[in-house]
Parts: sequence; structure tokens; C-alpha cells
Amino acid sequence: MEKEYLIKLEKVNELRLEDAERENVLAFFEKRAEDLASLEEVETSNITRMVHVMPITAGIREDVAIKKFERDDLQKGAPETTDGYWQVPRLVE
Amino acid sequence: MTKYETVIGLEVHVELATKSKIFCSCSAEFGAEQNESVCPACCGMPGMLPIVNKKVVELGMTAGMMLNCDINRVTTFDKKNYYYPDLPTSYQTTQLFAPICVNGTVEITTSKGTKNVRIKQIHMEEDAGKLVHDDWTDTSLVDFNRTSVPLCEIVSQPDLSSAEEVVAYLERLRSLLRFAKVSDCRMEQGSMRCDVNLSIRPEGSDKLGVRTEIKNMNSISAITRAIEYEVARHIDALETGSEELVQETRRWDDIKGKSYAMRNKETAGDYRYFPDPNIMPIVIDDEWYDSVKKTLPEFPEVKKARYVDKLGLTEYDADQLTRSRALCDCFESASATCGMPKEVANWLISDVMKMLNKKSMTFDMLSLDGNKLGQLIKLVEDGKVSRANAKKILSIMFDEDINPEEYAEKNGYIVSNDTDQIASIISAVVAGDPKAVADYKSGKEKAIMSLFGKCMRELKGNCDPQVLKELLIDIVNKA
Repeated sequence: MEKEYLIKLEKVNELRLEDAERENVLAFFEKRAEDLASLEEVETSNITRMVHVMPITAGIREDVAIKKFERDDLQKGAPETTDGYWQVPRLVE
Repeated sequence: MTKYETVIGLEVHVELATKSKIFCSCSAEFGAEQNESVCPACCGMPGMLPIVNKKVVELGMTAGMMLNCDINRVTTFDKKNYYYPDLPTSYQTTQLFAPICVNGTVEITTSKGTKNVRIKQIHMEEDAGKLVHDDWTDTSLVDFNRTSVPLCEIVSQPDLSSAEEVVAYLERLRSLLRFAKVSDCRMEQGSMRCDVNLSIRPEGSDKLGVRTEIKNMNSISAITRAIEYEVARHIDALETGSEELVQETRRWDDIKGKSYAMRNKETAGDYRYFPDPNIMPIVIDDEWYDSVKKTLPEFPEVKKARYVDKLGLTEYDADQLTRSRALCDCFESASATCGMPKEVANWLISDVMKMLNKKSMTFDMLSLDGNKLGQLIKLVEDGKVSRANAKKILSIMFDEDINPEEYAEKNGYIVSNDTDQIASIISAVVAGDPKAVADYKSGKEKAIMSLFGKCMRELKGNCDPQVLKELLIDIVNKA
């Protein structure tokens, strides 16, 4: 990982690292990258892929549309509504 | 002046043809009153968990199979984080690490010949809501009906090099996805929209130029204009230094014919993607894969060749019919009923298409029962209903579920074989127009057609034209 990219990630994650901490993080990632690279040497062609750490997959549902909730009930806790819309401060593009 | 080449990649979003949303059971139908198709899950209320709609996965697989992709047998969902009021969870559930389809191709044809466009991936994701800006109250109004409506995003490699190729690619995608009933791809309703990633570089160079992305294009003509504008803007910037090109997202204003900078182009890091811990991996086993594969339709060009080779249609007719799956389905069903494919093609291409145009309907909105159309055509071919009256019955069949033969009997549209009755009507018409009779007898052959028309009107079209003509000439000659 490059230092500039780490600084960008700090920004989008609202973190601020000191220079010494950055060096530690970069060294950590470099080591992990080496560890991962070493895994490439392992022969895995005959091993079934692990889908998840637990032996479970997603529950899925059939495509059936059901109306379970009324708009007025859902908007009871809203600070402001108008004509069935949630009303929020104007967005500046 | 340096010669440049254009490099374009597309991200095409299509809304999937499901009844319900991707992660909850709310209706995905277009056109409901604001916030009438919502629940705590798609409103992003705390504690709500997503449950994946099976049909979404199947339509994603179908799209991939139609576009020659590899299907990932283990596919996962991820969270893409950003804040905007039309996204109540503050993240979009999408696919980054294991999208449902990868590595496809789409063949396109342009004036320069055929070309394969590579598909990088297809991923499933949820749509965002809709914002309406209220100038009166200076607020924004939020409608969550579209939130969590299922989408597939089809990401191409940067293999396109002109507006013409982009149009050919989009039309090919639209045709294939409509044929497979993956999506209705109605650009005007937003169920197909497109982001255009574009750069230019000196011809022959292998280094890509600065890329700009034009977001949310939903009309083929606007896409063409936007590409032409952006290419000219990039060339001008490089040639004259009029502006510095930067990697950014732009918005196209079709009325002004200009693009405007919206924001700097984001990268994956900006969105802090991570695997969605609320949705377990989806495993597509062989049984599921095969069951979806079996539902794939015949490709349009294969159908077209079969219509020409096996059913004897002209290239033109076959081309017209294979523009729409609904037309093909109607054609095949009607042909099976009446056994006259050429007649069915004529009816569909002339009368049915005319009626669709009159009602401002697209081919895919055609809900005409092919079996009943076949019955109607058989009535005409058997001489039981005149063509003119069959057209009237057809226009009723567009709006009502009727049996054509029963309707014809009930409304007096069955052709009369009673020659005495026909002769009596002809005699009355002839007696009422002595001038036409005299004209005909003096050699003006056209005069008979005027009498013929009057007789046919009196008979409400329910007469074999040949029988009528013979009887009419006989009666006029004797008059």
C-alpha cells in the first residue's frame, strides 16, 4: 500500500494517523501482503472452496410482492412529511 | 493536427423484471403513489435484515448466459458506503468481490462490420430512492418506492470507439435482455440507463488518456450527442490547452448540449466497500444453474433464420418480427393455431403494428393472445369473416378478451351465403342509382365499383366480394 492511498483511506474513514502510526500500518500491510503471497505457493487445485467460516449459505425467498405496511405508520416517527414524502433539508448538488 | 481515437467503456444499469424488491417483499412495480411500496427494511430502519429475492439471482444468471459470461457459482454481496438522503441505510448493497457474472462478450454490428465487446462483469444491486426538490418550501422530498428495486449493472471493457458503436452495443443489449425477459429496458422510464466512461488518445498509442464519466444517461440520442460533445471537448483541451482535463464525473444537459463537472471521479477506496455480514454467500449448484439455462430463449438471429428457412418468411418480415419477444411469441402461437405463418406475419406487421403505433404502445407491450389471432385469421381465410370486419374485431381484441368467432356471430360479422338476400339488397341499390347503371351500360366500367361499394356497405361487409361482384354485374346487365 502506498502512503498516499493510506492518507486517502484515513480521510474517507474519518481517521487521522500520526506519521509514526502510518509507518506502522504500512509495515503491517506489507507483511500481510507477503503472507498472502506465500499462500500462492500452496497447491489448492483439489480443495473445495470454503464459502463461509460457518457451513451456511444465504436464505432466499420467492418473488412475491406483499404489502405489509401502511405509509402513515412508517412516517409516524418522521420529523417532517408532506404529501406522503419524507421532507429533508434541501440538498446542494 | 494529431489524429485521435476514442476509448469508451459503459456501465449499463437495467432494472430487473421482478414483482418484488431485491431484499424485501415490497412491490417493485413502477408508478405507485409516493412511499406506498415501502417497508421498514427498504426504509433503512434499524434492525431490519435483507432476504435475497431468488428471481433476482436467476435473472442475473440469465443476463450472464445471454451475454456469454461465466457464472460465479458462489456469489456474495458487499456494502458500498456513501451518504445521500435517497439512500436510507447510507450504504448500497451491491457486489464487488464476487459478482454473479464475469468475462462475457457481446457481438455488435456497425457500418464498419462486426466486433466483439468484452463484458468485464455483471453485478446485482439495489436501486436508490427518488428525490424531488421543492422550491416553494426550499426542501427536498424523498420517495423510497425505488429503494431496493433490483438492478443488474453490466460493465463493459473499454472496447468501444464511437457513438455508433455505443448505440449498436446498447441496442444489442436491449434486444437480448428483452428477449430473455430479464428487463423491459425502457429507457424513458429509467429501467435502462447508462454511464459513459470516455477518454481519447493519439491514434496508435496504447496509453489511455484522462477519463471522464457521464452519469445517468437514459436516451440513445442524448448519449450520441454527449459522446460527440465530450470527444470534441477532450480534443480541444489537448490541442489548444483551453482547459485541463481531469478525471471526473460529469452531467449531460441535453437542452444546452453541454456537459458539466459534478464531482471528482470516485474510486473503490472512497466507498469503503466491505462484505455484507447480513447476507451469506449464495451458492449456485448445478441443478439451479441447469434449470435457469433451460429457460433461455432462442437468440433473435437464430429465430430470424428459422423464420426464413423453415417458415418461408421474407428477410424483411423475419427482421420485423424478431425485434420483440412479444411479437415473436404472438407470431408463433398464431401460426400454430392457423397454420399460415405468412398470413400471420402480414397481419402482425401491417395491422397489429399500426394499432400499436396508434395507441403509442411499444412491441413489448403487446398482450394480444396469439392463439386468438390465429383463430381470427382462419375465419378470414375460410371466408367466414371479411378482412375489413376482421380488422374491426382485431381492434376489440386489443382491449378485451374475446373469442373472435363468438364475437363475429354476436355482432353480425359472419359472411352471408344467402344469395337471395344478397340479390335483393343489390336490386334495391341498383334501383336507387339509375345514373350509375346507365354509365356502366354506356361503357364506363368504373361505375360498377361505385355500386359495388354501396352494396358492400348495405351488407356491412358480410359478403364474399367475388360473389357480390358476379351477382351485381348480372343484375345491372338485366336492369
